[in-house]
Amino acid sequence: MNKQVKILCVCGSGTVSSSMVAEKLKEKLGERGFAVSTVEAMPSTVDSELAAGGFSLVACVSPVYQELSIPKVNAVALLTGLGESDVIDECVRILGS
Amino acid sequence: MMQIVYEELIVVNLQAENAEDVIRQIGKLMNERGFVKDSYTGAALAREIESPTGLQLQNIGIAMPHAASEHVEKAGVCIAQLASPITFMHMGMPEVEVEAELIFMMAVLDPQAQLDSLQKILTVFSSSDIPIAFKQAGSKEELHQVAVTHLGIA
Repeated sequence: MNKQVKILCVCGSGTVSSSMVAEKLKEKLGERGFAVSTVEAMPSTVDSELAAGGFSLVACVSPVYQELSIPKVNAVALLTGLGESDVIDECVRILGS
Repeated sequence: MMQIVYEELIVVNLQAENAEDVIRQIGKLMNERGFVKDSYTGAALAREIESPTGLQLQNIGIAMPHAASEHVEKAGVCIAQLASPITFMHMGMPEVEVEAELIFMMAVLDPQAQLDSLQKILTVFSSSDIPIAFKQAGSKEELHQVAVTHLGIA
């Protein structure tokens, strides 16, 4: 049984890059035993999305400067493929704890 | 699967002064071709400043400027070879510069409906050699063919 996790994906417009990140997370974390659901957001809507609750992780390709109540990872490597496995490992470490 | 590659959005040897000029020129082209609204270029410029889109891939620097769907009329991607590299700031690392040689400027109407296309673009970005094929295409026709091969509808 895969562990259900909810991830907030953040990019500048809250659409294109965040959707790319979301797809990559679903695929790669799926292979590691997680059932991933995602919500896409832009930096200005992060706080209100998080207030809805239930998120385990924030994956950003746009800088999010404010303090967050849950862990945040820089997910740019998921778009370039460079260092992708490091980011996935970091997500697994956070989600697994 | 939605078509995103159009010959009318393929550009080779784009001469530009800086990142803003790149976005203005391509935004104008996409607007004239009916893919984006008049508001798209301004929105893409604002987004690029707040949240840059340069990406250092394995063997080449690129940028993927874009604006939110509300500024888009029709799904498509403008693929442009730059005459000489232009400095963009890196996505997610705004203190890092990228010398972009290729631009993938996207008009996305509905990300959920275009996931196949976005995944194909990601596959291109992650490849060590496919982006080089985009860079080395010697003519507009050749670049269009490379784009159809890797981003077209099967």
